[in-house]
Amino acid sequence: MELLKGTLDMLVLRTLLFGPLHGYGIAQAIRGSSAEALDIEFGSLYPALKRLELKGWIVSKWETSEMNRRAKFYRLTPAGRKHLAQEHSKWAEFVAAVGNVMGPLPVPAVKNTGKG
Amino acid sequence: MLWQKLKHLLPSARRKADLDAQEELASLAAMAEPGELGNLTLAAENARAVWEWTWLTTVLADVRYGVRTLLRQPGFAIAAVLTLALGIGANTTIFSVINSTILKPLAFPASDRLVLVWETFGQGPNNENIVSAPNIWDFRKQTHSFEGIAIFDSSGRGYNLSSTAGEPEQVSGLRVSANFFSVLGVKPMLGRTFLPEEELPGKDREVILSYGLWQRRYGGDRAIVGRNIRIDGDDFAVVGVMPQDFSWQFWSDARQLWVPVGYTKTDYGRSDNSFLSFARLKPGVSIAQARSDIAAVAARLAKQYPNANAGMGATVQPLGEYGLDGLRRGMLTMLVAVAFVLLIACVNVANLMLARGASRQKEFAIRRALGAPGWRIARQLLTESLVLAVCGGVAGLLLAFWGSRFLFHLLGNDAQLPMRHITSIPLDGRVLAFALLVSCFTGIAFGLIPALSVLRTGMNEPLKEAGRESTGKRGGQLRHALVACEVALALVVLSGAGLMIKSAQELLGTAPGLNAHNVLTMEMSVPQEAIYNGPPTLPLFCRDLQEHLGAIPGVLSVGAVGHLPFHGNAGRNFQIEGRPPADPQKMPGADYSVACPGYFHTMGIPILQGREFNDTDTVTSPGVIVINEAMAHKFWPKGNPVGQGIRLGGSNGPRLTVVGVVGNVHYQGLDKPVGTQFMRPYRQAGWPIMNIVVRTAYAPATFTAPIKKAIHDFLPDRAVSGVETMETVIRNSTGSRRVPMLLLSAFSAMALLLAAIGIMGVVSYSVTQQTQEIGIRMALGARGTTVFTLVLRGIMKWVLAGLLLGFAGSLGIARLLGSLLYGVRPTDPAVLSSVSAVLVAVALLASFLPARRAASLDPLKALRHE
Repeated sequence: MELLKGTLDMLVLRTLLFGPLHGYGIAQAIRGSSAEALDIEFGSLYPALKRLELKGWIVSKWETSEMNRRAKFYRLTPAGRKHLAQEHSKWAEFVAAVGNVMGPLPVPAVKNTGKG
Repeated sequence: MLWQKLKHLLPSARRKADLDAQEELASLAAMAEPGELGNLTLAAENARAVWEWTWLTTVLADVRYGVRTLLRQPGFAIAAVLTLALGIGANTTIFSVINSTILKPLAFPASDRLVLVWETFGQGPNNENIVSAPNIWDFRKQTHSFEGIAIFDSSGRGYNLSSTAGEPEQVSGLRVSANFFSVLGVKPMLGRTFLPEEELPGKDREVILSYGLWQRRYGGDRAIVGRNIRIDGDDFAVVGVMPQDFSWQFWSDARQLWVPVGYTKTDYGRSDNSFLSFARLKPGVSIAQARSDIAAVAARLAKQYPNANAGMGATVQPLGEYGLDGLRRGMLTMLVAVAFVLLIACVNVANLMLARGASRQKEFAIRRALGAPGWRIARQLLTESLVLAVCGGVAGLLLAFWGSRFLFHLLGNDAQLPMRHITSIPLDGRVLAFALLVSCFTGIAFGLIPALSVLRTGMNEPLKEAGRESTGKRGGQLRHALVACEVALALVVLSGAGLMIKSAQELLGTAPGLNAHNVLTMEMSVPQEAIYNGPPTLPLFCRDLQEHLGAIPGVLSVGAVGHLPFHGNAGRNFQIEGRPPADPQKMPGADYSVACPGYFHTMGIPILQGREFNDTDTVTSPGVIVINEAMAHKFWPKGNPVGQGIRLGGSNGPRLTVVGVVGNVHYQGLDKPVGTQFMRPYRQAGWPIMNIVVRTAYAPATFTAPIKKAIHDFLPDRAVSGVETMETVIRNSTGSRRVPMLLLSAFSAMALLLAAIGIMGVVSYSVTQQTQEIGIRMALGARGTTVFTLVLRGIMKWVLAGLLLGFAGSLGIARLLGSLLYGVRPTDPAVLSSVSAVLVAVALLASFLPARRAASLDPLKALRHE
C-alpha cells in the first residue's frame, strides 16, 4: 500500500515516540506496526529523517546498538513532540471527516424501468 | 532551523554532512538484508537535497557557464556590454542629478516641519502672495500650529562694505526677524543671533556674517565678533558668524550677511506686502491642520481690516517643496527620454541575443534531448542576460561618474534649488541601488525575448536541419518587429529634442523690444527707506552717473533702471483720473519701476509718443510717468494718453501725469507675454536697487574697470555687482530650456546611433539567412537592383510601422515637456516631418551596406552557402 502524501513525517515522529531508533529500525517499526501493510521506501524515509532533523523535530547521535554495532539513533525533541500532537489531531479530524463522507458502501438499488 | 540551513552554506559543513550520511547509510546497509534498502545512492542524493542550497549552487553554475560562453564570443559580449553601459550610464547620470537636487532634503534640522507662509489673494493656482509684517504678527499671536514664524525681506539687497583699508565691495544681504535662525534650527558658529528688541529701528545696527564672507574679507578673524564694520557708510556691530554649512538662497544667490529687520514706517502698513515668511510646525501638526488654522485666522483678519485685507487668505507650503517644479519637470522628461534610449539599447541586445540564440539552437536541442526541461534552458539564457546586464551596469556606473559631473557643470545655476547648497553630485547608495535595479530590469527586459523563444522552439527541428542554422520565419519577424519598436522609441526622443530646438529658435526669434547689442549692465544698491513713494537717498544719482560715466571715451549713453528687463518687476495699483473710482479690490494695476533720464535711449527702447524723463523732472516739479504701449492700449484704447493723469495707489494718492509712451519690452522673459508697465523718474521716487546700463561703441565688457573706477570717484562708499552684458542677461533668461534641449539632443544622437546599429544588424543578419534564396532568385534572372530594393523594402516597411507608432508617443513627450515648450505645438508638422525624415534617412543608410552586399552576391557561391 502506498503512503498518502505528507504522512511519512507523521509516521516517523509517531514511531520515535516510544524511544530512540536508528534508520533501519524506524523502517521496520513502521512496517511492523502497520502489519506489513505499509512498505516504506527507504529511499524516501532517509531524506525525510534529514528533513525532520533540519527542522529541529528530531536529533541524532551515534550510539552502539544492542547488537554491538555503531548506528545513528534518532530521538524526538520537545518541539517534535508538540508538532506530532498537532499533526495527530489534524489527522484524526481528517480521518473522521473522510469517514463521515464515505460511511459503509451502500448497495446500489436496481431500478425497474417498468417497460420490461 | 534557519541557522541549521544557513550553516550549510559553508562548504565544510556540507562536506561533513555528506560524509556522515555515507557512514550512516553504510552502517544501516550492514544491518539489513542485501537489497532490502533499495538504491542507497539515490537515498543519499535525495537526502543531500535537504541541506544543499540547490538553487544557489545551480545559479552559480549557470553564472559560471554564462561567463564562459560569453568569453568565447568576446565580440558579442563587448558590443552588448557597451550598448548597455551607454543606456544604463545615461539613466544613472540623470538619476544621480535628481537624487542630489530634487530628492535632497533641506540641510536644516527636522526640515520636514518647515513651511513657507503665504498670503493668498482670490482662488486658483499661483494665488500665493508675499506677506505684510502686521499680518504675520497677528498670525504669530492667533495661530496654534507653529513653534515660531519668521519673517524676512522679500527682495534683500546689496550692502556696501567699506573700510579705510580695502576696496569697497557690495555683497548680498538680508533683513531678517530675530527668530529667523532659531526657527530654522541653526546656531551661529561664533557669537549669537539677533535679539527681539533689535528688530526695532535704532537698535538694528548689528550684523551676522556668513562663513564665506568672514573668511574672505575678514581673514577668519575670531575677534571680529563685537567689532564694528562699515556698511553703507554706517557702523554695524558684528554679533555672530554662521557656520560653513549654512547657506540661505531664496529668490537670490546665497546671502552673505544678515541684519535685523529694523521695521520702517512702511513696514507697518498692513497692505504693504514686502516680506517673505516661514514657520516651523509644532511636532505632530500636519500641513492640512496648519492650513486650516492659518486660513481661519486670515479670514478673521479680512473681516477685521476690510480696507487692507478684503479677499485675503493665507496658506502654508512645505519649504522643501518650493521651487522644484521647473527642474522636476525638466528632469522627469529627461528620465523618460533616457529610459527610451535604454529600451532601444535593450532591443539591440535582445536582437543580438536572438541572432546568437539561433546559432545555438543545436546546443539547446541536444541539451533538451538529454533531458533538460525547456525552462531550465530559458533560465540559463536569462542568467546570461543578467550577467551581461550587470557588466553593462558596472561600466554604466563609470560613465555616470563622469556624466553626472559634466551634467552638474552644464546645469550651473539651474541645479541650485532654493536653500539647497549643492556642491557636487555624489554616486551614493541610492544611486548604486538605482543602477543595480536598472541593470536587473534591463537584463530581464532583453533576456526574456530570447529565453521565451527557446521555450517555443521544439527540440527536433534544429537537429533535423543537419547542421544548418534555423531560419525560422517567426524569429525573423520578431527581430523586425523589434526594429519597429526601436524606430518608434527613437522617434519619441527625437521629436522631444526637435520640439525643444524649435522652442529655442522661437524664443531667440522673439524681438525683446530693446537693442541689447553693446550694452553693459551692473547693479548698485542705494538704500532707500520709503520705496514706493519717497524721494531718493541720492537725489543727484542720475545726473552724477551721466556726468562721470558719460565722460569715459567710448561710452555712448548712460541710464539706470530699478528693474532690469528679464529680471522681474514690482507692481502698483492706481486709479485713472477722470473715471469713476473702481472698487478697491478691482483697482487697475501694472508693473512698476523707476528709471533715470537716458534709460530708454540707452536700452534702445523706442519712444512712441511724448518724451522720456529728463533733468527737469525733480522732486519739486509735477509727478510724471512713462507708460509702455501695452498700458496705453489697455487703459486709453482710443485717444492720446499723453497728458492724462493717474492717482497712484488709489483716489487719494499722488497725481502723476503721463508724459510719454515707449515700446513694449518682454520684461518678464522672452517666453512671457508683455505686461502693462509704467515707470517713474528716479528723482521723484527712489528705489533701493538700481541697475546701471551703459551703451558703448564697442566690446562692452572691456568697460567694466573704467566704469567701476568712475563710480568710485563720485560714490566712494558704494560698489557695483552683477556686471553682465545685456546679451548675456537675455541668454540667461532662456537658460532653463538650454539644458533640457542639449540633453535631449544628446539622447537623440544616442537613440539614432543605437537604432542605426540595430537596423544594420537585423538587415545584415537576414541577408545572411536568405543568402540561398537570393542566390536562387539571381540564378533565375533577378538583377542586383531588384535584390537591392527587395532587401530595402523588407526593412523599410517595419521602419514605417515604427514611425506611425512613434507619432503617438511623441504627443506624450510633448505633454511632459509642457511649459518648457514655447511657440510650438506638440503636433508641429515641421518638427515631426523633419525628425521622421532624419530617421528614415538613417534607416536607409544603415540598411544600405547589407543591401548592397546582397545585390552583389555571386549566385553560384550563394547557392552553395550553408
